[in-house]
Amino acid sequence: MKNSILSILAVVCLLSSCSNDDDSPAPSPDVVAPATYSFLRDGAKSVSYSGQTTRIVMGEEFISALKDPSKTEAQLDGMFTNTGNNFEDDVLNASSKSIRSKVAASSDFFAANATDASAIKSTFDSWIAEQVNDVYPNWGEVAVAGQSGQIQEAGGGSTRYVNNKGLELNQAINKSIIGALMTDQMLNNYLSPAVLDAGSNIEDNNAVILAEDKNYTNMEHKWDEAFGYLYGTDDQTNPQLNQDSFLNKYLSRVESDPDYAGIAQDIYDAFKLGRAAIVDNDYNVRDEQAAIIRDNVSKIIAIRSIYYLQQGKLSRISGDNGSAFHDLSEGFGFIYSLQFTRRSDSNAPYFSKGEVDNFISQLMAGNGFWDVTEGTLDTISQNIADRFDLSVTEAGS
Amino acid sequence: MEMIKRLLLLVFTVSALYTCSESDDNNSGSSSDNFDRQLMLTNWADNIIIPALQDLSSDLSVLITDKDAFITSPDDASLNQLRVSWLKAYKTWQYVEMFNIGKAEEILYGFQMNVYPTNINDIQANINADSYDLSNVNNHDAVGFPAVDYMICGLRATDQEILNAYSSEPNFEDNTSYLSALINQMDALTMTVLNDWTTSYRDVFVNSTANTATSATNKLTNDFVFYYEKGLRANKFGIPAGVFSSSPLKTKVEAFYNKDVSKMLSLSALDAVQDFFNGVAYNSTATGESFSAYLQYLNTINSDASLNEIINTTFNIAQTKIEGLDANLARQVETDNTKMLEAYDALQDAVVLLKVDMIQSMNISIDYVDADGD
Repeated sequence: MKNSILSILAVVCLLSSCSNDDDSPAPSPDVVAPATYSFLRDGAKSVSYSGQTTRIVMGEEFISALKDPSKTEAQLDGMFTNTGNNFEDDVLNASSKSIRSKVAASSDFFAANATDASAIKSTFDSWIAEQVNDVYPNWGEVAVAGQSGQIQEAGGGSTRYVNNKGLELNQAINKSIIGALMTDQMLNNYLSPAVLDAGSNIEDNNAVILAEDKNYTNMEHKWDEAFGYLYGTDDQTNPQLNQDSFLNKYLSRVESDPDYAGIAQDIYDAFKLGRAAIVDNDYNVRDEQAAIIRDNVSKIIAIRSIYYLQQGKLSRISGDNGSAFHDLSEGFGFIYSLQFTRRSDSNAPYFSKGEVDNFISQLMAGNGFWDVTEGTLDTISQNIADRFDLSVTEAGS
Repeated sequence: MEMIKRLLLLVFTVSALYTCSESDDNNSGSSSDNFDRQLMLTNWADNIIIPALQDLSSDLSVLITDKDAFITSPDDASLNQLRVSWLKAYKTWQYVEMFNIGKAEEILYGFQMNVYPTNINDIQANINADSYDLSNVNNHDAVGFPAVDYMICGLRATDQEILNAYSSEPNFEDNTSYLSALINQMDALTMTVLNDWTTSYRDVFVNSTANTATSATNKLTNDFVFYYEKGLRANKFGIPAGVFSSSPLKTKVEAFYNKDVSKMLSLSALDAVQDFFNGVAYNSTATGESFSAYLQYLNTINSDASLNEIINTTFNIAQTKIEGLDANLARQVETDNTKMLEAYDALQDAVVLLKVDMIQSMNISIDYVDADGD
């Protein structure tokens, strides 16, 4: 409900400030979104986001491989960078895309910040190295504080493989990719005017000048690429959700929490309307929809951060460290992703890199998850809830 | 049609409860009725929980005796006797599993006694190892009744080969010592839980009458509903019947290796649930305060339909469905899984009645979450 009010306010505010851009024509009276995300030109599809689908599929193979102790660091790095034909799927090996090249690579956040971009990519590299050099060798050992190994969830549950601080690195990497790749590319790159309006995109879109040998304008394509990072392996015209291990899955999770039901439709509607606005040359409506998407996708990251910290806390209290470490490791990844969220009203994330690094330090202090206190988990949860205007109780269950 | 009127009244009451009560995770606060919760707690502790634990303890002593006899001279007779005393203890266990409170909760007693399916690889790794810590969380699926089931019924393909595994095979001592360690551990854990009840916890328990999330009343009520939903409905029926997976999983029934006792054990469990609901004393027909009495008391205030009768009827229907199944539930899954699903559905009918209607009318909150598992 709150989000609808925000959206309405956003729309009212944006509508009431007139566009000063002489290049854009007078806005068409009412942009109408189609029933589904389906757009044609001369009877043929104009929507395309194969590069995004490819990276999601690469991501799936990569995070599976992180749990294979027979892999070498070179092989895992090779999947992350897509070099050396390290994927099982040769179609992926033949692709020109890679995950690493788009990690911390958005125009708005990193075009002028190669320092942070490089540090973030290196962090991923170091997690891969640690998984291979520290966790794989102790795969068959029982984990204890200060030593990596395996730990089973109580009651015969799944077995988790953790580092010396109880961090399940494959989970940390998985959930961090959601922020550093999907979220960052969507919110801070493809939905940004810096990308949508780059070069002659506006004039081309107005004049319906298509990209070479393609059935879309550049602007249309950029918007589709944002769409592709969320729906890349889902049904474009009838999203099923939970069709990948990344953003699509966690949109599904948040949607099924009664406190947030409706978020999936809000996002899909904004994508449809924004894309229709581009066809109609209405860039105000387009940007309004971008703001809605930024709001809602950022919220997913925040909600899941709180959720996993709270669930991890409960497992800890009941004496089940295996489940606790698993939940907290997922929380770790979502917290790492907070630095890639985007306020709809500014050029900043909800939490800076420095603030996120601080959260991580708190979680990993001493023996990490073996030691972390309920107080710390609650304080961090409350900090995130306050920044996003959420309720820990609602997000935490 | 009194029944229909009552059902309609129940439906309206439930709807009213849904619309009027907020879904808040915080506790409900002070109890708004004058039901004597201490009478209920006392009946639970003195007439049900402690007697059941005492019975289990003595059954496990017999199991140890029969195990020692088997180890001394393994033959068909001693193997059979071992299986008999294992089954007796397992049936008694069905009356104990739901009480995950106090010492039992602290040491994860239930997880150390009855996690199934058991993990054969972990068991074999332990047998081969120089040492093992049976209480380590990694071994929850390699200990307890299900592990013993494997050791005495599933270790080899035939009974003669099982006997060989404990007598003539090379390294047979490893099998013997693991079997012995398992059973000794079950007995030791049970002694720990029982002693805690009889020395100090009983008094703490019967005085913990407050309506707070950590009071014994609320915790045990939650334990009861959780056991019904997970321990009975899901573990014994839902999971093997494939309700939570893409296809049935017949190897996940309780007592899989013994083959013929899974239905029997589930009927004991349902019996335990219904007796506890009605406040029936362990191994007796005497009845005291429990949920049924509480709901009847609330009926006099709220003039509700008699929820306690509806719940009992639901239990009875489920019992009939289960009785019509194959004694070997794995074989039932294989030959006609629809009947397993029908038994599951019959059990499911009581979940809403317990988890929503009963709990809300007693002004208690559910304290567990159905985790989605990643």
